[in-house]
Amino acid sequence: MRRDCPSCSRTYAYDVPVCTFCAVGLEERTSAAGTVAAVTMVTAPSIGHEDVPYWTALVDSADGVSELLKFDREVSVGDEVPMSGGKAAHLEPVGVIGTGVMGRGLVELLLTRGHDVVWVGRDADRLAKARVRAMDRLARVMDEQQLAECDTRLHVSTGYEILSDREVVIEAVAEDLATKIDVLRAAEPHLRPDAILATNTSGLPLDDLACVLSRPERFGGLHFFNPANRMRLVETSVAEATSQEVSAFLDDFALSLGKTPVRVASKPAFVVNRCLMPLLNEAVRTLEEEVAPAESIDEAVRLGLNHPMGPLALADLIGLDVVIEIMDNLARRTGDVTYEPRPTIRRLAAEGKLGRKTGTGFYTYDR
Amino acid sequence: MSAFVVGAAKTWFGPTSRPLAELAQEAVLGALQDAGMSPDDLGAFIVANFLGGPNEGQLHLNSVVAGLFPGTRLPSWRVEAACASGGVAVHQAVLSLHAYDPILVLGIERMSDVVGAELTRNIGMAGDALLDQAVGLTFPANYALVAQCHMREHGTTTRDLELVSLKNHANANLNAKAHFHHKRVVQSDIDGGPTVAAPLRLFDCCPISDGAAAVVISARPTGERSVRIAGSAVASDVISLVQRETRTGFPAAREAARRAYEQARIVASDIDMAEVHDCFTIAEIVAMEDLGLAKPGEAVELLRSGETAIGGRIPVNASGGLKAGGHAIGATGVGQVVELVAQLRGEAGDRQVAEASTGVAHNVGGIGGTCSVHVLTKDGDR
Repeated sequence: MRRDCPSCSRTYAYDVPVCTFCAVGLEERTSAAGTVAAVTMVTAPSIGHEDVPYWTALVDSADGVSELLKFDREVSVGDEVPMSGGKAAHLEPVGVIGTGVMGRGLVELLLTRGHDVVWVGRDADRLAKARVRAMDRLARVMDEQQLAECDTRLHVSTGYEILSDREVVIEAVAEDLATKIDVLRAAEPHLRPDAILATNTSGLPLDDLACVLSRPERFGGLHFFNPANRMRLVETSVAEATSQEVSAFLDDFALSLGKTPVRVASKPAFVVNRCLMPLLNEAVRTLEEEVAPAESIDEAVRLGLNHPMGPLALADLIGLDVVIEIMDNLARRTGDVTYEPRPTIRRLAAEGKLGRKTGTGFYTYDR
Repeated sequence: MSAFVVGAAKTWFGPTSRPLAELAQEAVLGALQDAGMSPDDLGAFIVANFLGGPNEGQLHLNSVVAGLFPGTRLPSWRVEAACASGGVAVHQAVLSLHAYDPILVLGIERMSDVVGAELTRNIGMAGDALLDQAVGLTFPANYALVAQCHMREHGTTTRDLELVSLKNHANANLNAKAHFHHKRVVQSDIDGGPTVAAPLRLFDCCPISDGAAAVVISARPTGERSVRIAGSAVASDVISLVQRETRTGFPAAREAARRAYEQARIVASDIDMAEVHDCFTIAEIVAMEDLGLAKPGEAVELLRSGETAIGGRIPVNASGGLKAGGHAIGATGVGQVVELVAQLRGEAGDRQVAEASTGVAHNVGGIGGTCSVHVLTKDGDR
């Protein structure tokens, strides 16, 4: 990007409104494409650029605009590459179903990345509250203008009809097979025939969900992690019937949101929860056997395994009801009872102590 | 302009566990003793530092250093201009002599507590946050682009870069204060070095050093060992390579050199030796051309013929430079002056450049966004 002063013809390479010398407005010059003038393959990582190698290129356009661009593939001097003045990348209009923590996180992420978002929830009151909460959270990182602009891109409804113009719809309701089936079945008839319908399941079998749909080839799994705007991983998965095109789209879409997709088979709990749940369960067992109190178990794991958070605190964060659902699913689907939640988890949940969201779990929280 | 370096000292540049104050004190005490002064004689002090904030969570460094002069309540401040902080601080001391005399300039940096990706990011803060940092243009990457443009425009080769590295490592072996004083670097070491940012490899890059350097500057010489600052200039430019027309040289360095030479009433051919900012090997070649020691594209000829080695026609980085002498960022520009003072006094020992009477120090911030050039002369010569 270049900005030229129409009065003195000085050129600025910053996004500033006026000429410092003449105080008159600058004219913007952009280019759609340019030629790589120099490029370096960087093999030493830095914070924000952990994945190496990558290529940073100095690109010049024929009309005198220069830009530095980062590539995750090799480019060479002389290559023609698109510049930021070109047509902006297509941002799919997206629908999100569900007003829980994950649904809200997804809405925040999508709005931050520039998407137009339709948000569907069962209960008008909860939906309105969730919307306020999402905008409050965006307000922490955005100025008033950005926030107001985001607000115009967010539309909420309790009916699925509003999803009719969406290119992508992500279901993020409770992690329960029957609930998800109900929602997917109810939503699908309202979607465009070419819409892609994705579930944010953390490990239910994709085929069990796909089989209730009339267009299973347009269906796939996009498992985001909480908080969705910060966690870089997305586990992508497909059902038997998922088309090649949709399969490829799942990874591309995750990448376009700044995430790293990891393709997983639609086996119970995928990778992360498959590894995490036994850890959580074992931490609870350690607590039950009085090896150490909760605080000590968490501290030991944090320091000894270099985890950012202890397993019991993490279980509280996830919500013990969700933990139970995942563990029960795992046990049932693998036939391995060691995956079943430990008695203490069930007891706490039965007492309504679900973790942070209820104020008590393994720990007590100020609400 | 009348300014003299009347005292100069530096610590060894290299990793150390010593905290800031202790590191600072070694250089400060050394410079004061060299000047035959006590802290009571000082009019002010200036601290040059780049990354105290991001690396150590320590800003307000002039007040930290004030702890070395309890009770004096001296005027003091900190200067930050990325890797040119030291040179800019020396320039500011020269300009401030009308108000305070003498002025102690301390350059200091601690880098070894932060490693890898975090340090690379922190050093990258010398580049534009949006234009450079966001696209992963770290400093090795920045200089890699300059190298590539220089190679294409002037036919410079990776072999030329290796010659810079070999020469400066050999010089560092003669300098007890150099980071790699004890490390012998031979061709096979260079050949085995991994790529950092193509075409730059490990031995094209300066090391991460801790260190401090200090000089005492006065408007009046205190004796025969005083060295005159005959020219002192700073110039600045846009911060990102992408904002610039010239990619094979730094216009700010050329401008600073022009102003400093004019003050000193010299031309480039009067220069006997140069300490230049070789944070990467290509930077030494660019520096020689910006300083007018060679025409654009011709610095490599001096390099190939050995003229820039000690004993050559125009020794460059007799100290080992940043490449092998070490780059304790805030201390670097001050350290270059310390080296020139030692050379012009004839006290440089094994690495003494014969009959040196005019030396230049060339210090660069970022990818040429700030450049300082100082001309030092044996007093009485000019």
